[in-house]
Amino acid sequence: MLVLTRRLGEVIRVGDAVTVRVLEVKGNQVRLGVEAPPEVRIYREEVYRAIRKENEDAALQKPSSLDEVTTAWEKQREKP
Amino acid sequence: MGEAAREAVVETVAVRSQRFGNYDVPADRILRFPEGLVGFPEARHFVLLDSAHAGSPFRYLLCLDLPELGFVVCDATEICPGYGADLPRPPDVKPGDLAVMALVTVPADPLQMTANLMAPLLIDCRSGSGRQLVLDTGRYPIRFALLSSRTTA
Repeated sequence: MLVLTRRLGEVIRVGDAVTVRVLEVKGNQVRLGVEAPPEVRIYREEVYRAIRKENEDAALQKPSSLDEVTTAWEKQREKP
Repeated sequence: MGEAAREAVVETVAVRSQRFGNYDVPADRILRFPEGLVGFPEARHFVLLDSAHAGSPFRYLLCLDLPELGFVVCDATEICPGYGADLPRPPDVKPGDLAVMALVTVPADPLQMTANLMAPLLIDCRSGSGRQLVLDTGRYPIRFALLSSRTTA
């Protein structure tokens, strides 16, 4: 892992198009400003992991799941 | 002769999946996700298959790059009224052309199924291009219960 020390307001550049600036340091919190082209997606790590996990859980369902799901949905709607 | 013959042919893409069977997909029904899905960067081409049940909000999203990969999806605006009104829309997409779909997670008991409203799929129906948007606002749940508390054991 590359480790760099930066002061408030200083910047790290990743490749040609991405910069990360230290905006604020308060206790154990650091605010960072990331500038990147729109095609570069930026996520907090825990959010990325949660979405990836949910996508994996939702994946690999058989087309027959569509019938199961629709049946469950319709049954539920018929209830008073 | 060559030109005329070619024009008469409807282009299709043959999908061969051991798990899901075989499909011939008209080329103009193919949805393109240039960035793939989160965790599935190589899943870039899909086709939406309709439910046999009329009026079902669910459809099946079959991946063409990884033919063993598929998702149950639903129209997010239909299952969660008001959803989607505050989503950032690509400027070149007309409101009527935008479909907002949620991936559905179906556990062993389908009554416990949930929809991922935190990372919806935005699809421009006109161009057939889409992407998965991640909403890091805390406003929408990653597991929205589709069949609410009325579910009985």
